[in-house]
Amino acid sequence: MLKRRTLLTALAVAVLGSLAFLRAQDAGDPVAAESFAATNTVQPIAFPHIVHAGTDQIPCMYCHFSAERSVDAGIPPVRTCMGCHQVIPGTTDAQQAEIEKLKGYWDRQEAIPWVRIYKVADHVHFPHMRHIAAAVDCATCHGVVEEIGVIEEVNQPLAMGWCVTCHREREASTDCSTCHY
Amino acid sequence: MSTATETPRGALAHPDVTSYSDVNRDVLRPLGKPGKGWWILFGIAILGLGVFFTSWGFQIVKGIGVTGLTSPVGWGVYITTFVFWVGIAHSGTLISAILFLFRAPWRQSIYRAAEAMTVFAVMTAGLFPLIHVGRVWHAYWLIPYPNSRFLWPNFRSPLVWDVFAVTTYFTVSAVFFYLGAIPDLAAARDRATGLRKKLYKVISIGWRGTDREWHHFSKAYIFLAALATPLVLSVHSVVSWDFAVGIVPGWHATIFAPYFVAGAIFSGVAMVITLTVPMRKAFGLEAYLTPKHYDAMAKLCLLTSMIVLYAYLSEFFMAWYSGEPAERGVFWNRLFGEWWWAGWIMLTCNGLIPIMLWFKRVRLSIPALFVISIFINIGMWFERYVIIVTSLSHEYEPFAWGVYRPSLTEMGILVGSFAWFGFWFLLFTRLIPPIAIAELKEVLPAPLRPNAVVAEGGEA
Amino acid sequence: MSDGNGIKRRDFLKVLGVSSAGASLVGCSTDEVEKLLPYVVPPEDITPGVATWYTTVCQECSAGCGMWVRTREGRVVKVEGNPAHDISGGALCARGHSSLQGLYNPDRFAGPMVREGGVLRATTWAEAEQLLANRLAAAGSSLFITGDAGPSLADVVDRFVAATGGSRVRYGGVSEAPLREAARIAFGRDEVPSYDMEQAKFIVSFGADFLEGWLSPVEHGRGFARMHGVDHGEKGRMAFVGPRLSLTGQNADDWYPVAPGSEALVALAMANVISGGGASAGPYASVVNGHTPESVAEATGVSAEAIRELARRFGSDGSSLALGPGVAGQHRNATASNLAVLILNAVAGNVGRTLHFRDADLSAPSAPYADIAGAIGRMSGAVVLVHGCNPAYTLPAATGFDAAFASADFRVSFASAPDETTATADLILPDTHFLEAWGDSNPRPGIYALQQPAMQAVPLFDSKQAGDVLLSVASTMGQALGAASFYEHLRTRWEGVQAQTRTGGDFETFWRSALKDGVVRVDGSGPEATSLRMPDTALVFDVPAFDGSASDPILMVYPSARFGDGALNGNRPWLHELPDPVSKITWHSWVELHPHTAERMGLVEGDIVTVASPHGSVTLPLWPYPGVREDVVAIAMGGGHTNAGRFANGNGVNAMDLLPAVIEAPSGALVHMATRASVTPTGERRRMASISGSEDQDDRNITPAVALTALGHAADEAEGDHGPRRELQGIGGFVPVETDGEPQDFPLPGTEYGPYADAKNLPRWAMAVDLDKCTGCSACITACQAENNVAWVGEGQVQMGRDMMWIRLERYYEHIDATKASHVDVRRMMMICQHCGNAPCESVCPVYATYHTPEGLNAQIYNRCVGTRYCLNNCPYKVRVFNWYEYNGQEPVFEGMGYAPEPMNWQFNPDVTVRTNGIMEKCSFCIHRIKDAQHRAAIDGGQVTDAAVVPACSQSCPAEAIVFGNIRDPESRVAQLAGDERSYRVLDEVVNTQPAVNYLKKVTFHDVESGAH
Repeated sequence: MLKRRTLLTALAVAVLGSLAFLRAQDAGDPVAAESFAATNTVQPIAFPHIVHAGTDQIPCMYCHFSAERSVDAGIPPVRTCMGCHQVIPGTTDAQQAEIEKLKGYWDRQEAIPWVRIYKVADHVHFPHMRHIAAAVDCATCHGVVEEIGVIEEVNQPLAMGWCVTCHREREASTDCSTCHY
Repeated sequence: MSTATETPRGALAHPDVTSYSDVNRDVLRPLGKPGKGWWILFGIAILGLGVFFTSWGFQIVKGIGVTGLTSPVGWGVYITTFVFWVGIAHSGTLISAILFLFRAPWRQSIYRAAEAMTVFAVMTAGLFPLIHVGRVWHAYWLIPYPNSRFLWPNFRSPLVWDVFAVTTYFTVSAVFFYLGAIPDLAAARDRATGLRKKLYKVISIGWRGTDREWHHFSKAYIFLAALATPLVLSVHSVVSWDFAVGIVPGWHATIFAPYFVAGAIFSGVAMVITLTVPMRKAFGLEAYLTPKHYDAMAKLCLLTSMIVLYAYLSEFFMAWYSGEPAERGVFWNRLFGEWWWAGWIMLTCNGLIPIMLWFKRVRLSIPALFVISIFINIGMWFERYVIIVTSLSHEYEPFAWGVYRPSLTEMGILVGSFAWFGFWFLLFTRLIPPIAIAELKEVLPAPLRPNAVVAEGGEA
Repeated sequence: MSDGNGIKRRDFLKVLGVSSAGASLVGCSTDEVEKLLPYVVPPEDITPGVATWYTTVCQECSAGCGMWVRTREGRVVKVEGNPAHDISGGALCARGHSSLQGLYNPDRFAGPMVREGGVLRATTWAEAEQLLANRLAAAGSSLFITGDAGPSLADVVDRFVAATGGSRVRYGGVSEAPLREAARIAFGRDEVPSYDMEQAKFIVSFGADFLEGWLSPVEHGRGFARMHGVDHGEKGRMAFVGPRLSLTGQNADDWYPVAPGSEALVALAMANVISGGGASAGPYASVVNGHTPESVAEATGVSAEAIRELARRFGSDGSSLALGPGVAGQHRNATASNLAVLILNAVAGNVGRTLHFRDADLSAPSAPYADIAGAIGRMSGAVVLVHGCNPAYTLPAATGFDAAFASADFRVSFASAPDETTATADLILPDTHFLEAWGDSNPRPGIYALQQPAMQAVPLFDSKQAGDVLLSVASTMGQALGAASFYEHLRTRWEGVQAQTRTGGDFETFWRSALKDGVVRVDGSGPEATSLRMPDTALVFDVPAFDGSASDPILMVYPSARFGDGALNGNRPWLHELPDPVSKITWHSWVELHPHTAERMGLVEGDIVTVASPHGSVTLPLWPYPGVREDVVAIAMGGGHTNAGRFANGNGVNAMDLLPAVIEAPSGALVHMATRASVTPTGERRRMASISGSEDQDDRNITPAVALTALGHAADEAEGDHGPRRELQGIGGFVPVETDGEPQDFPLPGTEYGPYADAKNLPRWAMAVDLDKCTGCSACITACQAENNVAWVGEGQVQMGRDMMWIRLERYYEHIDATKASHVDVRRMMMICQHCGNAPCESVCPVYATYHTPEGLNAQIYNRCVGTRYCLNNCPYKVRVFNWYEYNGQEPVFEGMGYAPEPMNWQFNPDVTVRTNGIMEKCSFCIHRIKDAQHRAAIDGGQVTDAAVVPACSQSCPAEAIVFGNIRDPESRVAQLAGDERSYRVLDEVVNTQPAVNYLKKVTFHDVESGAH
């Protein structure tokens, strides 16, 4: 004779199990998954946002030049880096080493193969300029880079629900075709 | 419980079956060692399963394009087969629940098989929506559950209704089936030895056959029967709305719900015949599945076939009467267009052949019924094929008309689905008494020596 | 199998810098670490994520349409017509759009090649140029065969051949030599005139297919649509005189199915009637006088009455225009036919009014075949250089080109991709694609345009501008051609152009503005020809002779509406998959016979037959076409490549193999209509890769028409068959509300919550398509394909009905009669997603993958689509297409299926999601363009105006038939057109879908049953 409890437990397990499965599917949500793709990767040059954006107070848009007028924020061309580092050799040895790397790329006229950290899925349209125009702080999505040494995936999942929450708070459109088309 | 003095209505009278022990003997016999025939059938089923899953896998890897589907025919063999199996699933509950409520005495011998069929048919049908969609790995989006996207399915879509209808139906019929089987499982337990005994012990959840248990059992059974009954009507109505809700000429008709339900019962009963005839032979259950039962089922077929035929005719009439070119075009096409063959198979198998059932001699001849039931199964499959494919291929836009030719993959999956069904049904015949012992005993003349009963566990 | 893996919008395109292409093409599988490669030095005119536009000139045919080229992150992703340019006027043809697939042709040569021991091996430019120099020096004599080449390049070639002691031969697969010769004879002007269709009230085309390819199709398409489209109750009329209805013929109002080769007789008879016996025909009075309608009726097969009627309509007030006969009609008396047509124009006073010599068509392909025929004789032992043409393919086998070419001492080709000529070339110096190169064009005396590189040459292919090659080879040989680089040469020449403009100023400014505007106009008009001149050549106007047995039908080999002569554009899936405007067949070739003829032979569509002339034979499937005379068999050019790349080879047949090498005296043109051909069944059959489900509307009234006479009161009957309707409120519940069913009524009251709350203040995007203007040229289809990353699927899939075009250009025959002169009525329907207010697809989608946006768009959310295909079933217009396989991968899922091999995927529009396997898609009204306009409005301030949003189809329509805009704005053109009396919405009365697309009925001269549904 089986206990009723056993039965109930079995039932509960089944229900919770299936729910867990479905949640797991959400984790598989490409938006989220891809944004985590590049965590803990080593950049070709240990670029310290903490120095540039923090100590030196360089505005984001100085390097990420197209963020306010384009869907893409823009990765600074090597020339932009050299613009300053021609004259800034760096203080510590570590810094100088890194800046030497930079000079190396410049001399070779070679693009720096930065490793991509932030990426929304390809079926998501994220127009940077609209968010800048709406006075969304860069840090909202990219974290407080002024305080982060080597930039890494800050805990924002870049998942749809996360976007939608913000859109709802700011009463931005939550129409599907705002981002998906 | 029956007494010795009066024999209840529709009592079972057969020379070979005089005592309860006979019943147990006969009914539990199949649970013994399987014969060669069973193994052969089982082998075939396994083979078919291979075909089934290979085809499906191939489709998932390569893309839904391996089917013959195209624009404008977006649905084909898969949805046809889905509806077919859902239809098959109907008679089970009908026979066990509705006939039980109406106290139709002849159901006892067949309802177990019918219920099993129901459960397995729904299990088969349930696979087809998954097989059919373009991105099966996202099919779970049809289930409403709180998710990180803040999205719900579209409750206006008949496809979402389907999800509910089919899952509900499966749950209820499965529970109903299991509950009804418990006493017999106990009976089997008492006979079985070794591993089987352990298994039955578990699934018969300690049934001892006390009066109290019987009391609760019968109550629960009636409740479930009452619960299952409306589902018989609702499920296939919902399935029919998959089409009726669409504006496709040939789909958009209010008659669809009753028409589909009748068709479902029609095909379901036919399938019961198709399945029980060989089973009866193989396991020597002639004593319990008598021509009387088949006669009754044949009458049910006859009735539903007439309803279905009426639906056909009224559809053709309405198409003509509507004066709408697209509507007319579709139905003309079914009779005389490129799909004439499918249309006529449907009419012949479902409308004309069953006419023979008017004759008692036919109804009483098991072989004849067997053959006719096969025809009906074929006919009912083609009915869905005709409704889906012919309508889609000739819609409003003449320039967009197209032809649909099923591919090998689709055929493989169609055949495989029968194997999948057969696989479960064969297991059923081995593991669960194919006929409801307890209820049979109700309709047996009461034993002369009551204490003879006590020897037989499970019944008091 | 995740979205990420599948949907590759912007593939690598999100990444800056061409060099990164390889790195990021791995798609988006999560284990793949993506590299961001910034520019080292940023190009000043490129902002990542923002399109940069360049002007240039289309080189797909000789017409010289001005182009706008859209680039993203340094890659060309789209071409469009330059609105400022006189020829294109902002539009472009399908072939022009397909030039992108010429640029990204995966089979282009990886670099210079030299043939050693029969096989090509890669070499360096230095080595290749040195080799050429040596061989030229050794051989002494050279022969330079050039196709269409801009004036500056042609100049370099001329200098080159002069310096290296060779000769230059111009050659093109199609040539208007007879027209040019006739012009010389009639007016002493050795030029091809230009035609001002817009000014004409009545056009007679003697077989000239001016809407498909004849001379300048885009310009003609615009002119014709303006002339023929109804305007204030008036519209111009067109008659087609010829044995086969081309697309142009299908657009005519009347068809005179004359016997092949008898156009001259009709023209002269008309002249006779108009000039009252030829009085005003000057030196040709006697000829005209000799041809009365009665006398020619027999030979032409058109009754005298019909000819008189035609002549009467043609009139003599200079407001008519006669064209032709065009290439397909080039028979043994072609020059005479052209002359007769010119005489007709002269007699009717059209010269100088609708037909101009003052700005003659300088770019017209008019090189006589005789030239290259002569060259064939001189080839043996010479160094033969081929540029911009493919004689081995376009010349009939009978001309013996192959043998002569083989006998040459050294064969050099400048082709950028393999073709039949490079198959035997010893040295290949791959030229840059015109989108990568400098050049110029001068289509009319007063019109100059620069061709500038819109992107750096595709790095996968080490190509070099032919002009530069010639200059450096010359200098290797110690010859200075006056410029160090072609660019320099071009600039020098354009100083001359600046001088012509008499604007002065410094050259740099002029140069920059020329590049910016894409066109420079100078007052270069020559004198206008007026009176006819005494003929210096004896001509026969009678029906010419044809080879072959008199019992066989006469063979017409006509330029394909998609490929033209197909010389260099054979390897483009877009063109192959574009349904032929007439037959609606894709990919493979077909032979046209009149249904009666086919019936007599017991043949039906799809029967594979062998068409044999005395000069060759081809085997291809039959397509019965009521638009050809019963004594004619017609095959299109452009098929049957043997060495033009993976998509072209073995596809269809090359009809030129059937033609003899007959030279038409006096023009020296190749005779296209020279022979009869027998048609014998092979007994085999095939399923045609056609998109046509039915040629009959089957009482569905999809494309109603209205008679011109009925205009004005057509409105009354159209209205009134339904009062205000009562609609369920959709999501909002089950209480019906009243509506007139106007697009602006949606969303209905009760559904206006959430995002729909203020929907009534938002625009409702809608479209109006004027079916009276649409010529069926199909430019919109390819434009859409390029803009929206619409996949091509391959022949087998089209056979199954799986073509993915978002635009289905339907074609229904109402009336075509090849037996006698009568009216033509072929209806067209540009069927796209109707963006219904009551969309049947939306309610049935279980996951909201398709739904209605507050702006009235029927959106399709690709990444949400599960693929139940219910929406496809429930769409009465069948405009939804499904991705049955992955059609955009690097490899085809199965052999012969659509895929986008490197670098074809470079063309993907980064603003549009690339769809993957198992997803439904359809016309989006170019939602990304709407979004883009809204983004710009949001950051720059200002409103989103109609002008700011132009879908790709509307943008590229030569006929200006497609209008898009906000129908809630009563001032918008779309709103006004929707209110037009001809306006109707397809199937709306039947299924009450409330489409956002309004069609304007075709207007006919003959009576039609009213358009009321």
